[in-house]
Amino acid sequence: MSLDPINLSIIYITSFILLIIGYSTAISSKDIVRLLISLELMFGAVFLTLIPLFSNLSETAFGITLVAIFTSSAELLVLIAAIILFDRKHKDLSTGLIDVGGDRV
Amino acid sequence: MTEETLLLGILAVVTIIFAAGMLFVRDNFFAAMYMSATLIMVATISAFFGIEPAFVLIVFIFVGAIGVVTVALASTYREHSENGNSLKMWLIPAIVTAGVIAISVYTTLGRVPVGRTIAFELAFFLTNPEYILLVISLTALGILLMLSVLKMIGGADECH
Repeated sequence: MSLDPINLSIIYITSFILLIIGYSTAISSKDIVRLLISLELMFGAVFLTLIPLFSNLSETAFGITLVAIFTSSAELLVLIAAIILFDRKHKDLSTGLIDVGGDRV
Repeated sequence: MTEETLLLGILAVVTIIFAAGMLFVRDNFFAAMYMSATLIMVATISAFFGIEPAFVLIVFIFVGAIGVVTVALASTYREHSENGNSLKMWLIPAIVTAGVIAISVYTTLGRVPVGRTIAFELAFFLTNPEYILLVISLTALGILLMLSVLKMIGGADECH
Protein backbone atom coordinates (compact mmCIF):
# COMPACT_ATOMS: atom_id res chain seq x y z
CA MET A 1 0.00 0.00 0.00
CA SER A 2 1.62 3.22 -1.15
CA LEU A 3 1.47 6.38 0.89
CA ASP A 4 0.71 9.03 -1.71
CA PRO A 5 -0.32 12.59 -0.75
CA ILE A 6 -4.05 11.76 -0.89
CA ASN A 7 -3.70 8.84 1.52
CA LEU A 8 -1.46 10.95 3.74
CA SER A 9 -4.09 13.70 3.78
CA ILE A 10 -6.83 11.20 4.66
CA ILE A 11 -4.80 9.88 7.59
CA TYR A 12 -3.94 13.30 8.98
CA ILE A 13 -7.45 14.72 8.50
CA THR A 14 -8.97 11.66 10.22
CA SER A 15 -6.50 11.95 13.05
CA PHE A 16 -7.25 15.66 13.43
CA ILE A 17 -11.01 15.03 13.52
CA LEU A 18 -10.58 12.25 16.10
CA LEU A 19 -8.46 14.57 18.21
CA ILE A 20 -11.05 17.36 17.99
CA ILE A 21 -13.87 14.93 18.91
CA GLY A 22 -11.84 13.64 21.86
CA TYR A 23 -11.08 17.16 22.98
CA SER A 24 -14.72 18.23 22.65
CA THR A 25 -15.80 15.20 24.68
CA ALA A 26 -13.18 15.97 27.33
CA ILE A 27 -14.22 19.59 27.84
CA SER A 28 -17.92 18.71 27.87
CA SER A 29 -17.64 15.71 30.16
CA LYS A 30 -19.59 15.79 33.39
CA ASP A 31 -17.96 12.76 34.99
CA ILE A 32 -14.47 11.28 35.10
CA VAL A 33 -15.35 8.06 33.25
CA ARG A 34 -16.30 10.06 30.18
CA LEU A 35 -13.05 11.98 30.55
CA LEU A 36 -11.18 8.66 30.53
CA ILE A 37 -13.01 7.57 27.38
CA SER A 38 -12.15 10.82 25.62
CA LEU A 39 -8.48 10.44 26.58
CA GLU A 40 -8.40 6.97 25.05
CA LEU A 41 -9.86 8.37 21.84
CA MET A 42 -7.15 11.03 21.74
CA PHE A 43 -4.50 8.34 22.13
CA GLY A 44 -6.11 6.59 19.17
CA ALA A 45 -5.64 9.76 17.12
CA VAL A 46 -1.97 9.75 18.11
CA PHE A 47 -1.60 6.13 16.96
CA LEU A 48 -3.05 7.13 13.60
CA THR A 49 -0.45 9.85 13.10
CA LEU A 50 2.34 7.29 13.58
CA ILE A 51 1.37 5.39 10.41
CA PRO A 52 3.19 7.69 7.91
CA LEU A 53 6.38 7.27 9.93
CA PHE A 54 6.47 3.64 8.83
CA SER A 55 7.08 4.66 5.21
CA ASN A 56 10.79 5.45 5.63
CA LEU A 57 11.71 4.65 9.26
CA SER A 58 9.79 1.45 9.83
CA GLU A 59 11.84 -0.01 12.69
CA THR A 60 12.07 3.29 14.54
CA ALA A 61 8.37 3.85 13.97
CA PHE A 62 7.49 0.45 15.41
CA GLY A 63 9.66 1.19 18.45
CA ILE A 64 7.87 4.50 18.94
CA THR A 65 4.49 2.79 18.50
CA LEU A 66 5.45 0.12 21.03
CA VAL A 67 6.52 2.66 23.60
CA ALA A 68 3.46 4.85 22.93
CA ILE A 69 1.01 1.97 23.32
CA PHE A 70 2.56 0.62 26.51
CA THR A 71 3.05 4.05 28.06
CA SER A 72 -0.48 5.20 27.30
CA SER A 73 -1.91 1.89 28.51
CA ALA A 74 -0.04 2.15 31.80
CA GLU A 75 -1.09 5.78 32.14
CA LEU A 76 -4.73 4.90 31.59
CA LEU A 77 -4.49 2.03 34.06
CA VAL A 78 -3.23 4.41 36.72
CA LEU A 79 -6.07 6.79 35.82
CA ILE A 80 -8.59 3.95 36.21
CA ALA A 81 -7.15 3.17 39.64
CA ALA A 82 -7.39 6.88 40.51
CA ILE A 83 -11.03 6.93 39.40
CA ILE A 84 -11.86 3.99 41.67
CA LEU A 85 -10.05 5.65 44.59
CA PHE A 86 -11.86 8.92 43.86
CA ASP A 87 -15.20 7.11 43.95
CA ARG A 88 -14.29 5.47 47.24
CA LYS A 89 -13.54 8.83 48.77
CA HIS A 90 -16.32 11.02 47.34
CA LYS A 91 -18.98 8.42 46.39
CA ASP A 92 -19.39 10.37 43.17
CA LEU A 93 -17.54 10.73 39.88
CA SER A 94 -18.60 14.22 38.89
CA THR A 95 -15.84 16.47 37.58
CA GLY A 96 -17.32 19.31 39.60
CA LEU A 97 -15.90 17.71 42.73
CA ILE A 98 -12.36 18.26 41.51
CA ASP A 99 -11.58 21.75 42.67
CA VAL A 100 -7.80 21.57 43.07
CA GLY A 101 -5.00 21.42 40.54
CA GLY A 102 -3.57 23.76 37.95
CA ASP A 103 -1.79 27.06 38.38
CA ARG A 104 -3.36 29.89 40.33
CA VAL A 105 -2.89 33.14 38.41
CA MET B 1 -8.69 7.80 -7.29
CA THR B 2 -7.55 4.24 -6.86
CA GLU B 3 -9.48 1.49 -5.12
CA GLU B 4 -7.04 1.56 -2.21
CA THR B 5 -7.60 5.26 -1.64
CA LEU B 6 -11.35 4.74 -1.81
CA LEU B 7 -11.15 1.93 0.74
CA LEU B 8 -8.98 4.05 3.01
CA GLY B 9 -11.52 6.86 2.73
CA ILE B 10 -14.34 4.50 3.67
CA LEU B 11 -12.37 3.27 6.70
CA ALA B 12 -11.68 6.86 7.72
CA VAL B 13 -15.37 7.82 7.41
CA VAL B 14 -16.45 4.80 9.50
CA THR B 15 -13.83 5.71 12.11
CA ILE B 16 -15.12 9.29 12.31
CA ILE B 17 -18.74 8.06 12.54
CA PHE B 18 -17.87 5.83 15.50
CA ALA B 19 -16.02 8.71 17.16
CA ALA B 20 -18.98 11.03 16.59
CA GLY B 21 -21.22 8.39 18.15
CA MET B 22 -19.01 8.52 21.22
CA LEU B 23 -19.39 12.28 21.36
CA PHE B 24 -23.17 12.41 20.97
CA VAL B 25 -24.33 9.39 22.97
CA ARG B 26 -25.22 10.23 26.55
CA ASP B 27 -24.66 6.89 28.21
CA ASN B 28 -21.07 6.22 29.25
CA PHE B 29 -21.38 2.52 28.51
CA PHE B 30 -22.22 3.08 24.86
CA ALA B 31 -19.64 5.86 24.66
CA ALA B 32 -17.02 3.32 25.77
CA MET B 33 -18.32 0.84 23.19
CA TYR B 34 -18.07 3.45 20.44
CA MET B 35 -14.57 4.37 21.65
CA SER B 36 -13.50 0.71 21.43
CA ALA B 37 -14.95 0.46 17.93
CA THR B 38 -13.10 3.64 16.92
CA LEU B 39 -9.80 2.26 18.19
CA ILE B 40 -10.39 -1.02 16.35
CA MET B 41 -10.93 0.99 13.17
CA VAL B 42 -7.67 2.89 13.85
CA ALA B 43 -5.93 -0.46 14.20
CA THR B 44 -7.60 -1.61 10.98
CA ILE B 45 -6.15 1.38 9.13
CA SER B 46 -2.73 0.31 10.46
CA ALA B 47 -3.31 -3.20 9.14
CA PHE B 48 -4.47 -1.69 5.84
CA PHE B 49 -0.95 -0.31 5.37
CA GLY B 50 0.60 -3.66 6.24
CA ILE B 51 1.54 -2.83 9.83
CA GLU B 52 0.07 -5.95 11.41
CA PRO B 53 2.14 -5.76 14.65
CA ALA B 54 0.62 -2.35 15.39
CA PHE B 55 -2.84 -3.82 14.76
CA VAL B 56 -2.15 -6.64 17.21
CA LEU B 57 -0.75 -4.30 19.85
CA ILE B 58 -3.59 -1.80 19.61
CA VAL B 59 -6.37 -4.39 19.54
CA PHE B 60 -5.00 -6.76 22.18
CA ILE B 61 -3.50 -4.29 24.64
CA PHE B 62 -5.25 -0.97 24.11
CA VAL B 63 -8.72 -2.25 23.22
CA GLY B 64 -8.57 -5.73 24.74
CA ALA B 65 -7.17 -4.69 28.11
CA ILE B 66 -7.71 -0.98 28.67
CA GLY B 67 -10.84 -0.68 26.53
CA VAL B 68 -12.58 -3.58 28.20
CA VAL B 69 -11.73 -2.24 31.66
CA THR B 70 -13.13 1.12 30.59
CA VAL B 71 -16.31 -0.50 29.29
CA ALA B 72 -16.67 -2.40 32.57
CA LEU B 73 -16.06 0.80 34.53
CA ALA B 74 -18.55 2.72 32.42
CA SER B 75 -21.18 0.02 32.78
CA THR B 76 -20.66 0.06 36.55
CA TYR B 77 -20.97 3.80 36.92
CA ARG B 78 -23.69 4.44 34.33
CA GLU B 79 -26.30 6.91 35.46
CA HIS B 80 -29.08 6.43 32.93
CA SER B 81 -30.75 3.05 32.99
CA GLU B 82 -31.33 1.65 29.53
CA ASN B 83 -34.49 -0.15 28.59
CA GLY B 84 -32.63 -2.64 26.43
CA ASN B 85 -33.51 -1.23 23.02
CA SER B 86 -30.03 0.20 22.50
CA LEU B 87 -28.48 -3.15 23.36
CA LYS B 88 -30.52 -4.79 20.61
CA MET B 89 -28.99 -2.36 18.10
CA TRP B 90 -25.57 -3.89 18.82
CA LEU B 91 -26.89 -7.36 18.05
CA ILE B 92 -26.75 -6.98 14.26
CA PRO B 93 -23.11 -5.76 14.04
CA ALA B 94 -22.15 -8.41 16.60
CA ILE B 95 -23.71 -11.16 14.45
CA VAL B 96 -22.03 -9.76 11.31
CA THR B 97 -18.66 -9.65 13.08
CA ALA B 98 -19.08 -13.20 14.36
CA GLY B 99 -19.96 -14.33 10.83
CA VAL B 100 -16.90 -12.63 9.31
CA ILE B 101 -14.64 -14.17 11.95
CA ALA B 102 -16.19 -17.60 11.46
CA ILE B 103 -15.73 -17.44 7.67
CA SER B 104 -12.15 -16.16 8.08
CA VAL B 105 -11.25 -18.96 10.50
CA TYR B 106 -12.89 -21.54 8.24
CA THR B 107 -11.02 -20.39 5.15
CA THR B 108 -7.72 -20.01 7.03
CA LEU B 109 -7.90 -23.47 8.59
CA GLY B 110 -8.33 -24.91 5.14
CA ARG B 111 -4.85 -23.72 4.19
CA VAL B 112 -3.07 -24.94 7.31
CA PRO B 113 -1.08 -28.06 6.51
CA VAL B 114 -2.09 -30.91 8.76
CA GLY B 115 0.58 -33.15 10.25
CA ARG B 116 3.45 -30.65 10.47
CA THR B 117 5.40 -30.57 13.71
CA ILE B 118 5.65 -27.37 15.71
CA ALA B 119 9.24 -26.15 15.58
CA PHE B 120 9.20 -23.42 18.20
CA GLU B 121 12.42 -22.88 20.18
CA LEU B 122 12.52 -20.48 23.10
CA ALA B 123 16.21 -19.81 22.46
CA PHE B 124 15.45 -18.43 18.98
CA PHE B 125 12.69 -16.31 20.45
CA LEU B 126 14.88 -14.76 23.14
CA THR B 127 17.74 -13.92 20.76
CA ASN B 128 15.49 -11.51 18.90
CA PRO B 129 15.88 -8.07 20.53
CA GLU B 130 12.43 -6.96 19.40
CA TYR B 131 10.78 -9.76 21.36
CA ILE B 132 12.94 -8.98 24.38
CA LEU B 133 11.71 -5.39 24.20
CA LEU B 134 8.16 -6.69 24.05
CA VAL B 135 8.69 -8.91 27.08
CA ILE B 136 10.27 -6.03 29.05
CA SER B 137 7.40 -3.72 28.14
CA LEU B 138 4.81 -6.30 29.15
CA THR B 139 6.63 -6.87 32.44
CA ALA B 140 6.67 -3.12 33.14
CA LEU B 141 2.97 -2.93 32.36
CA GLY B 142 2.26 -5.86 34.67
CA ILE B 143 4.22 -4.24 37.49
CA LEU B 144 2.31 -0.99 37.04
CA LEU B 145 -0.96 -2.89 37.10
CA MET B 146 -0.01 -4.72 40.26
CA LEU B 147 1.05 -1.45 41.91
CA SER B 148 -2.34 0.04 41.08
CA VAL B 149 -4.11 -2.98 42.53
CA LEU B 150 -1.99 -2.84 45.68
CA LYS B 151 -2.79 0.85 45.99
CA MET B 152 -6.49 0.10 45.76
CA ILE B 153 -6.27 -2.68 48.33
CA GLY B 154 -4.49 -0.28 50.65
CA GLY B 155 -7.62 1.87 50.78
CA ALA B 156 -8.62 5.38 49.84
CA ASP B 157 -6.83 6.93 52.80
CA GLU B 158 -3.45 6.42 51.15
CA CYS B 159 -4.25 8.86 48.38
CA HIS B 160 -4.55 11.83 50.78
